[in-house]
Parts: sequence; structure tokens; C-alpha cells
Amino acid sequence: MYATYVIWTKHMAKFLRSTEELLGLFLQSVLWVLLFGVGMRGLVGEVAGGDYLSFILPGIVALSSLGGAVGGGIVLLDERLRGILKEYLVAPIPRLSILLGNATSTATKALFQAGLMLVVGVLMGARLSPNPPGWLAALLLLAIFSVGFSGLALAVAAVSRSIAGYHGMIFLFNLPLLFASNALYPLAVLPDWMRVIVLLNPTTYLIDAVRALAFGAAPTLPLTLSLAVIVLFAVLCTWLALSLFRRSIRG
Amino acid sequence: MTDYAIDARGLVKRYGAITAVDGLDLAVPAGTIYALLGPNGAGKTTTINILTTLATPTEGEARVAGHDVRREAARVRTRIGVTFQEMVLDQDLTGREVLDIHGRLYRLGGALRRRRIAELAELVQLGDALDRRVRGYSGGMRRRLELARGLMTDPEVLFLDEPTQGLDPQNRVGIWSYLRALNRERGMTLLLTTHYMDEAEELASQVGIVDRGRLVAEGAPEALVSALGADVIRVRGSGERGHFAACARALPFVTRVDSPADSELVMVYVDSGSRRLAEVVGAASGNGFAVEDVTVARPSLGDVFLHHTGRALRD
Ligand SMILES: Nc1ncnc2c1ncn2[C@@H]1O[C@H](COP(=O)(O)OP(=O)(O)OP(=O)(O)O)[C@@H](O)[C@H]1O
Ligand SMILES: [Mg+2]
Repeated sequence: MYATYVIWTKHMAKFLRSTEELLGLFLQSVLWVLLFGVGMRGLVGEVAGGDYLSFILPGIVALSSLGGAVGGGIVLLDERLRGILKEYLVAPIPRLSILLGNATSTATKALFQAGLMLVVGVLMGARLSPNPPGWLAALLLLAIFSVGFSGLALAVAAVSRSIAGYHGMIFLFNLPLLFASNALYPLAVLPDWMRVIVLLNPTTYLIDAVRALAFGAAPTLPLTLSLAVIVLFAVLCTWLALSLFRRSIRG
Repeated sequence: MTDYAIDARGLVKRYGAITAVDGLDLAVPAGTIYALLGPNGAGKTTTINILTTLATPTEGEARVAGHDVRREAARVRTRIGVTFQEMVLDQDLTGREVLDIHGRLYRLGGALRRRRIAELAELVQLGDALDRRVRGYSGGMRRRLELARGLMTDPEVLFLDEPTQGLDPQNRVGIWSYLRALNRERGMTLLLTTHYMDEAEELASQVGIVDRGRLVAEGAPEALVSALGADVIRVRGSGERGHFAACARALPFVTRVDSPADSELVMVYVDSGSRRLAEVVGAASGNGFAVEDVTVARPSLGDVFLHHTGRALRD
């Protein structure tokens, strides 16, 4: 799987070179935390015994991981639409390594974006729990989740016919993943019918676990269940990406 | 038995209701240059896709560099180089990075990659531009970089889909000379497609004309041309064109007559233009056909192409 590594380094080189993309990602993080976290804090004050910024930061972090994944998916889409993919396809490398190269670079970007958001959030006043192993566990969950989002983005990128179509489809995921989750409000305040929908959203489990592990909130869902859901989500999305990618390169 | 670098039998490729390649046979001896000609949509690119393992044939089989494109795709891939019809380059990388990454995909060692990059940059004259981003390259530089990329792995068989499309005459002549040198000095087999007759005549020892997914003519360029007749007498005029064509066809020394429906010309292919001119023009007079202009020329590969594929537009 050396080819995976080659493709990953190439994508990373392109990523680190595009100052616009990097600046955009950074400003996005700052804006999210400022507009949502700090602004809503004035409105809401306290939630579930903690401050609001600490409460919604995990949700913003999860969603920014999706933002990073979307940027990674664009690379596959761009290489596919422009035919750069064909350079890999005529090379003596396994087909799987091409997808994995994209998946690792996409997940790296997703994790990078999530990490950036976390740092900005903490700098702006979100309070981490004094529990470094918990931080690490939360990061690990975020990483697994990023793999899932990457799979989703790559799956869409494998079938889209244009950049605009890709964004349209991603937007369709983006909105419910944020609002039909516990990102902005605690599970307990939701009406029953909404709680059912929210519990079908894997982001809910990630957010709950990260709140518990890194921000010292009491978990409202069992941690092991959250872990299982997150892993299952990552596996399913990766499988989806793989099968759609296979279909897209069948000549 | 000749050693064929490309040996394809009965290739068929269907996309739903469209048959892109329709029973194509192709045999390219090792160390030769073969040019595929054909109208738009004839199936040239599809044929290259099959031979380079990008597409699997619906029917038929093909061996490239001695390996089956379907069953031994990985083996085939290690032995070929490809440049695609459209430019396929990463804009944000430098020329050197493009070549280096390509070499790494094929697991060439660092020292070897550096040496090849230096050699190839010299061959395709990209020296100074090599460390600039591809974004700023001209069309000719991009094509030359793509050619260098195809050559990074020192392939046995190089596939070039319309290598000089959209390039200026300097770039075209330059690329021709690199290709000839590669073929002569390294014995590399080249399969190229082109819409330029002069390119095929310049480079290829064998030419195949494809139309609607089938090979309709094949041979050395000179042989294809002389099969049409030694000379062509182009007669332009008005009146009973069909009748004139029939009379000309009846003359014993006429090899063939083309009178395309959409032009005023009648092309009479004869064994010797200067000797037969008077008789051909004579066949026109008294047949209701008023001759306005006559030219005598050697037929060109373009005449061969139009003869075999007709004039109707393909879309
Ligand atoms: N992936 C595909 N799906 C459907 N039809 C296809 C596909 N690829 C090619 N075709 C069709 O197959 C036919 C042959 O196409 P091909 O690209 O091989 O022609 P070509 O000889 O390379 O033409 P050109 O000179 O324009 O490059 C065309 O009618 C084209 O529309
Ligand atoms: Mg083509």
C-alpha cells in the first residue's frame, strides 16, 4: 500500500500549498465559535450545568470535521472529473490503494479542521475537563468519526457529475446532521418524536461522548454504545465509498 | 512468428446501446510506430482505453507487451506509458513533482527518479520550467511534460492519444523528433492516434484507419496511397457528374473514381496523371459535363482517409 502513502503525500502537499483553503478553514473555525458559541452564550448562558460554549463546542467540532471531509472529497471529485484519476488507474497499483489514499488525506483534513476548531474554542473560553486521557479518547473518537465523514464525502464525490452537484448533495447531509442532533440543545429538552430522529443521527453519539470525555459533562448515552455507533458509522461509510468508487472506475 | 507488442483480436466495446468498438483486430510489431486514424467517435480512444487496461472489452482479447489486458492487467500496467487525449495534470504541482510522484507510483528508487527527471527534462526541453507550477505552463509545455511523465518508467509500449492536438508547429515538430528518437534509439513501440495526416505520414510505419469501431484500411502510408492509384486527376465542373464518373470508371487505366455528393469535384485515380489527362478530360466532353478546372496530383493520405471513411459528419 505504498501507493496510498504516495497519494496521501501528494494531496497533503497540495493542501498545505493552497493558502486560500487553509485560511478559509481557519477563519471558518473562528467564525463558528464566535458567532455561534460566543453569541449564543449571551443568549443561553448555562446548559446542563455547564457554560454554553463548552456545551456546543463538541458539536461545532464534529461539524467542522465534516467541513474538512467535504474539502477532501473535492480533491477526489476534481481528480475524477479532470481525468487525473486515470494516471493512477493505468499505474500498477491496487485500485483499493487509490481510494485509501483519498480516504487518508480526507480524514487527515477532517481531523485537522476538527483539531483547529477545538483549539480555537478552548482559546475562546470553552472549559476542558482536567483529564488528559479523556482528551485523547475524545480525539480518537473524532478521528474515527472523521473517517466516517470522509467516506460519506468520497462516496458523494465518486458519483457527482459536477462540483455544484457535489455541494448540493453534501448540503443535504450537512443540515440535518447539525440540527437533527444534540449539537445545539440537550437531548432532555427535545420532544419525543424529535428525540427519535436525533438518536438515529450518529453525530449525536459522538457529541455526547466528546462532551463526557473532554468537557466533563455527564454522559446522557452509554459510552460503549456511542463507541459502537461511531465505529459502525465509519465502517458503513467506508464501505459505501468503496462500492461507489469501484462502480465509478469500472470502464 | 513476429513479436507483436500489441496483438488484439475481435475487440468489441459496448456502452449500453452504443457500440464504440465493433470487432477490431490490431497487430503492432514490437519496435514500430503505428498510427490510428479515424473520424470523431470512431473508437480510437476506446481502443486505447482497452489496451491500457482502463476499460475491459465486452468481447475479444488483447495482449500488450506479451500480457493479457484482462487477466494480467497489473503486468501490462508496469510495461506501458500513456498520454491521454485531454491534458491530465495537477495544476498545483511543479513539473518536477509531477514526474517524481509518477515515478514513486511505479516504485522507482530516488536516485533513478532524479536521473530520469534530469534526462527527460532535457529531452522535452523543460529545463528551467521544471520547478514552476504547472498552472503557469503553456499548452505545449504541458504536453511535453505529459510526454515526459509517460516516459518516466521507460515503458516498452507507449500509447499517445492525439499527442499534438492544439499545439503550434514548433511543438509538433519537436514532439515528432522526440518520438522518432525514442523509437529508433530504444526500440520503443508507439501506438498513437491522430487527426493530422502529416503526423501519421511523418511518424508511422503502419497506419490503421478506424471507422465506426472497425478497421477499414491498414498498411504502410505509401502503400495505402498507391493503392488508390499513382495519381489523382481532380476534375471540377458542372453538369452530369454522375454520367462523367461512370464514363471515367470505364476507362481501362482508371483505378477508381470518387464523386462525393457534396462537392463539385470528381476524383479520378489513374496510373499516370500526365499521360492520361487528355483522355480523362476527353471523357467529359460530349457527356454533358462542362470541365472548369483540372488538377493533377499525387493522392495524399487525406485522400485515402476520405476515400475509406466518406465525407459525412459523424456526431
Ligand atoms: N464511457 C462511455 N459511455 C458511453 N459512450 C461512450 C463512452 N466512451 C465512449 N463512448 C462512445 O463511443 C464512441 C467512440 O468514442 P471514442 O472516444 O473512442 O472515439 P474517438 O475515435 O476517440 O473520437 P475522437 O476523435 O473524437 O477522440 C463515441 O460514440 C462515444 O460517444
Ligand atoms: Mg478520442
